[in-house]
Amino acid sequence: MDNLLSTILWLPLVGAVILVAVPRGRDEVFKTGGLLVSLATFLVSLVMLGRFREGEAGFQLVETRPWIPSWGINYSLGVDGISLWLVLLTTLLTPVVLLASRTSITKYVKEYVIAMLVLELGMIGTFLALDLLVFYIFFELMLLPMYLIIGVWGGANRVYAAIKFFLFTIAGSLLMLLAIIYLVFLQYQETGIPSFAISDLYAISIPFNVQAMLFFAFALAFAIKVPLFPLHTWLPDAHVEAPTGGSIILAGVLLKIGTYGFIRFVLPFFPEATARYAPWLATLAVIGIIYGALVAWVQADLKKLVAYSSVSHLGFCVLGIFALDQAAMEGSILQMINHGLSTGALFLLVGVIYERRHTRLMEDFGGLAKSMPLFATIFVIATLSSAGLPGLNGFVGEFLILAGSFRWSPLFATIAATGVILAALYLLLMLQKVLFGPITREENRTVRDMRWHELVAVLPLVILMFWIGFFPGTFLRKMTPSVQQLLTSVQAGRSAPGTHLVDGIDPHARRVAHLEPDRLRDAPTKAETGGGTR
Amino acid sequence: MTLNPLLEPGWLGAILPEILLAGFGIVLILLDAFLPRLRGLFAPLTVIVLVVTGMSELVVPGGSYFGGTYQISAITRLFDFTFLLAALLAVMFARDYLQRERLEGGEFYALLLWGTMGMMMMAKGLDLLIVVLGLELLSICIFVLVGYHRRALISNEASLKYFLMGAFATGFILYGIALFYGATGSTHVADLAAYAQREGALTPMLTIAFVMLIGGLGFKLALAPFHAWAPDVYQGAPTPVAAWLSVAPKAATLIALARLLDAVVPLSEAGNWTGILAFLAIASMVIGNFVAIAQRDLKRLLAYSGIAHVGYMMIALLTIRPDSIAAIAIYAIVYAFMNIGAFGVVSLLAKNQNDPQTLDDIAGLGFRRPYYGLALAICMFSLAGLPPTAGFIAKFYIFKVAVDSGHVGIALIGILTSIVSVYYYLRVVYFLYMKDSGTAPAIHAGPFATGALAISMAGIMVIGLFPTPLFDTALEAALSLLGR
Repeated sequence: MDNLLSTILWLPLVGAVILVAVPRGRDEVFKTGGLLVSLATFLVSLVMLGRFREGEAGFQLVETRPWIPSWGINYSLGVDGISLWLVLLTTLLTPVVLLASRTSITKYVKEYVIAMLVLELGMIGTFLALDLLVFYIFFELMLLPMYLIIGVWGGANRVYAAIKFFLFTIAGSLLMLLAIIYLVFLQYQETGIPSFAISDLYAISIPFNVQAMLFFAFALAFAIKVPLFPLHTWLPDAHVEAPTGGSIILAGVLLKIGTYGFIRFVLPFFPEATARYAPWLATLAVIGIIYGALVAWVQADLKKLVAYSSVSHLGFCVLGIFALDQAAMEGSILQMINHGLSTGALFLLVGVIYERRHTRLMEDFGGLAKSMPLFATIFVIATLSSAGLPGLNGFVGEFLILAGSFRWSPLFATIAATGVILAALYLLLMLQKVLFGPITREENRTVRDMRWHELVAVLPLVILMFWIGFFPGTFLRKMTPSVQQLLTSVQAGRSAPGTHLVDGIDPHARRVAHLEPDRLRDAPTKAETGGGTR
Repeated sequence: MTLNPLLEPGWLGAILPEILLAGFGIVLILLDAFLPRLRGLFAPLTVIVLVVTGMSELVVPGGSYFGGTYQISAITRLFDFTFLLAALLAVMFARDYLQRERLEGGEFYALLLWGTMGMMMMAKGLDLLIVVLGLELLSICIFVLVGYHRRALISNEASLKYFLMGAFATGFILYGIALFYGATGSTHVADLAAYAQREGALTPMLTIAFVMLIGGLGFKLALAPFHAWAPDVYQGAPTPVAAWLSVAPKAATLIALARLLDAVVPLSEAGNWTGILAFLAIASMVIGNFVAIAQRDLKRLLAYSGIAHVGYMMIALLTIRPDSIAAIAIYAIVYAFMNIGAFGVVSLLAKNQNDPQTLDDIAGLGFRRPYYGLALAICMFSLAGLPPTAGFIAKFYIFKVAVDSGHVGIALIGILTSIVSVYYYLRVVYFLYMKDSGTAPAIHAGPFATGALAISMAGIMVIGLFPTPLFDTALEAALSLLGR
């Protein structure tokens, strides 16, 4: 057994502990130290990418050590095609954030860097954990540093936003904790050996009515995190008040933990309940797509606009998941990465002009393309990536999601597609208001263009936008087997009514189960179709 | 009561810890009277005695003594350690507090030691009268300790309140025991257990007896609706005393209650006594957590949070099984670390005892005094039950036991009230890190208090990250209580 994943996981904490010991005062030490630690983590995670074997569906680089043996809880880590890119996104965005915050964070720098590194530990841990309780611990661990980041370094109304963020999330996750305990209780009843291992929990069969309840508890926790309409109200507050770095991490990674949770836990744990309630969640997702886009359209504040566009974009991800289709699911995972890149970049860029002008209102800008050509170029690329322009990453993800979900439900896909049009509308309007037109304010004439560290921070994101846009195959290839296996297991859980349904086969679930085989049989070919853009 | 006039061989060794505590308490009083110059050494000496007593626990032979009324086993050892730990932390915090308030005296430490001895008796007594003896010894020490701040009016008031209500509570307990005796002819737990096995054992009188008993014990536990004294007494008592009072007596009462409940399982099933306990647990969780939201005084906030925590612990008592006893043992230890730690930080705030110690007093502590601020924040996260702290492990154990024994509904209420609790614990963190009063909060901490805080933090984090040794010890100990 080797410790590669543990190294990635704990490196940020080791760095944080070392920084704790350094006396306060020299901010530069902490900024550079944190950056170095997160860069080292990123490099080690590239080693993980190199050692990841393509074409295997199961977990790789698995590490398992007993933690609480009497309850079957193991410290167990592993990575598969679903989590691989999310881990890399996390390790990439953390140095980006620390670099971008070099000038924007001026007070309590030491604490800020430490909070970011602890947050990185929590995020990586949630993606790597193969044990449900270990996952939960990392899931909750993220809350504390994020609460502090919003509440200490945030804007005027930061405390309200921080507490709202915390309470929303914890309400969902505590209910999920109870569901976890109950799920393990069922597992123990069935096998006689307690285990919190995800793979063991995949194997148990749960009566439908129990599944429905547990599904609700898990889905609530993740829906709040995503956030799914109508549970999204904490998000705009948190984004607007959070410092730039907090917004990037929040949009870039934290929201993905919700969608990741759906894929990793909700679908395979509760296949029948998923089949039954998928249309409902897809409905909420589609409402979120349209609603988020419409609300983003009328925002005057740049950060709010990007925040609501997140609601809209994450709706696509959720739709792609609950379409239960190979192409849509792959598109959904890719779209999580895309959203992390494009929205991360957008928040970073908004932070750049906010730092210079101390306003985020679009009416205060205009004509920035003349005074900040470099900024304008990157802003345009990031915006177009977010809007889904072909050739950039956003297009691939959205196309796969729409193509895949069209096969499932043309109606949903059609409505969702209008979301793409709306996105182009509000994003291009934003570009026009901020970058183009005459310069209306004198201050905007002399705004300084991007500094070197801001440029270095955003450049990797821009490169990846093009890379994914032109060569999505690099990314999709690695996830295909895992996604396929997941959908097959969901399918298997659903089509075994004898074991899964207690009394009376649920007609709806059966009907869906009946339809499934065709969809899955040609799933690989569909993946190929989706790969047409590769 | 079947008291054998002949003492079993080795009885003296069996009560070695109690003898050490009682004896050194007397020595302290004498030292205070004849060599008052040594006062500065009392706290270190007490710490040494507590550690020595803890080590003596390891050599005490297990078994049953004094005519089968006094049991020494793995579980009593574990609880003795909890009491000694609580006393140790309280003494270390008390030293700096007492020096600051110019209250140092031998009787303070002596009373703490004697109270600890009383709790040991409660945990070990197989006869209800032994439990009451221990409880009374403890209560008398508490009456004095709560009023120990002689010059502070609020302290005297708290003492009187606790005394009056505590006297009533003891009366109820004794009346309950008398009724048990009337129905069964014995006050010994084993006789009660034998009686409970009989056909048609349940009589209305027994239920009344149980209600009386649980009312009295509920008072000691600060269990809603018998909780009203707690905020006033905690607020008035010298803060280290409040820290100790909020933890140790609860642990002792819970283990005594667990032993009784284990004996009368058939009765509690027949008479739905579990329903009574469930009601008390729910009431405590709901009242404690909701009222805590409105508190601005830190000690009152911790009092209401304590009411809620007893509610959580009561969940485990609904079904007596090895893991539910283990859950209580673990919760008690974890609670000792986190609650005494939290009270400890409050005790360092240099303020007049009569004035309330409010949230405003800790504003900005997190950045101005990072060590104490972080310690209080960790205590709050632990009390809120957030991983990776010990508080999460303890709460998780309780909820797991509840689900495994079929009390999913109550576990759900526990979870929902936990969400409420997060709000007020977070508010403390908000004052620590996100509000700045402009001036550094006045903190007076000597090496003892700092050390005690370090012990608390270490306990919270070590148990939170590596709970397995404690789990195994507690489960093994629980088996010894149930005699399985």
